[in-house]
Amino acid sequence: MSQRDLTAELRAARIDAPPELRERVRLIAAADTTPAPRRVFTWRRALVVALPVAAAVAATVVFTRPAHNPPTAAPGVQRGAVLGRAVPATPLQATIAPAPSTTRVQRYGASLTLRVPTADGVSRGVKSALAITASLGGYASSVHANTKGERATADLTLKVPRAHVQEAISRLSDLGTITAEHLDVQDLQASLDATGRTIALLQRQLATLRARPQTDALGAQIAALVARIEQLQRNEAATTRAAHYATVRLHLATPVPVARTTHHGALNGLRVALVWLGIALLYVLVLGTPLLAIGAAAFLIARAVRRRREDVLLSRS
Amino acid sequence: MTFAQAAEAHLDDVYRYLAWFTGDRAAADDLAGETFERALRLWHRFDSDRGSARTWLCQVARTVALDHFRSERRRTRREELAAEHERVEERFVEGLSPDLEHALDSLSAGEREVVALRVVLELDAGTAARVLGISATNCTTRLNRALKKLEEALHVAA
Repeated sequence: MSQRDLTAELRAARIDAPPELRERVRLIAAADTTPAPRRVFTWRRALVVALPVAAAVAATVVFTRPAHNPPTAAPGVQRGAVLGRAVPATPLQATIAPAPSTTRVQRYGASLTLRVPTADGVSRGVKSALAITASLGGYASSVHANTKGERATADLTLKVPRAHVQEAISRLSDLGTITAEHLDVQDLQASLDATGRTIALLQRQLATLRARPQTDALGAQIAALVARIEQLQRNEAATTRAAHYATVRLHLATPVPVARTTHHGALNGLRVALVWLGIALLYVLVLGTPLLAIGAAAFLIARAVRRRREDVLLSRS
Repeated sequence: MTFAQAAEAHLDDVYRYLAWFTGDRAAADDLAGETFERALRLWHRFDSDRGSARTWLCQVARTVALDHFRSERRRTRREELAAEHERVEERFVEGLSPDLEHALDSLSAGEREVVALRVVLELDAGTAARVLGISATNCTTRLNRALKKLEEALHVAA
């Protein structure tokens, strides 16, 4: 008998449910009070809706929270505390350098931050600054310049005779737009006067000691006193020498490219929301994939075990 | 479709499936009643988008039948009696040749089940596979194996 004949004979042998069973099933069905099944709310359908909604809500919350938009620096404004002068919101128009005292010894320090439009401007600014310093009888103690594409910076430490520092700062300020300025003037005269008085006192003591009959102990005391006086005199001279030059630190830089904050209304919001949605989905993928893999493996193992048991059961029955 | 309509339309198919699966019409009678009782309780879960009512009822019937097989196995273990002795005494299908009916005895329940679904109920491979919880390929392989076994049994009988 071929398989075709075999299946034909198997199909021809009909078995119908007995009338008693039919009646029993009718009674069972008569107890049914539920309406025809409609679309039921399954967890799969719930996830299909809930996941995008949750991601969108998260994106909206993240996007709309107040701390999201950090303040962006306006071009030409350097933020941060600057000693000596508060940084204004607009470029400074003139320097604040006061004239150094002609009667008192002062340590004069100044720093200038200038914005220069182009990298070439920075280069030219460095050369000009060196020329200005030299013309005023000063010198550059350090020069650092850095250029990268359209961005360039230069840091110079200039020593300018204190008598010409105001002129130097004024001329250096013309090399670009002042974005920050720092001035530090320290009076050294009082300290020098005190040192002078100490030296005079020690010299009087020295004269008194020298007038006494000389002994070994007295000789040692005189030597110590002389050394102390010489030390103070050296310090006094060094202070006066250092105060002769004012230190001017000059920073030249091209404008910092500020991230463009373009706003295109609702479409821009949509774009940002989609970006956050993508980030949220990426997080879900990264964190959820191992859990999903474990769950899938557990499911497959459980299913294989169940099928194996069923096969065993049905092969015996 | 209401449950009553589904029950009326597919009672014979469910009964046939259970009769072939168990090889015992009396057991199929009881199991069919139990199947529809369980189906009524689960009817709210039925989703016509995911399959026909016949397929769903066959899945419920299969679960009931598997429970039956498990309890039968436990019972035969306890009593050390072969349930087969009670079953083979009566014919569960009329209209078959004696040779074919004898050949059917050589099939296991799993083989009878796939014959019932694919040949008797004439389900396609995909639908039968869904009832069995296996792949369509596996279902076809099982059917071919069962039919070949029947052929061999008939050949030996001849």
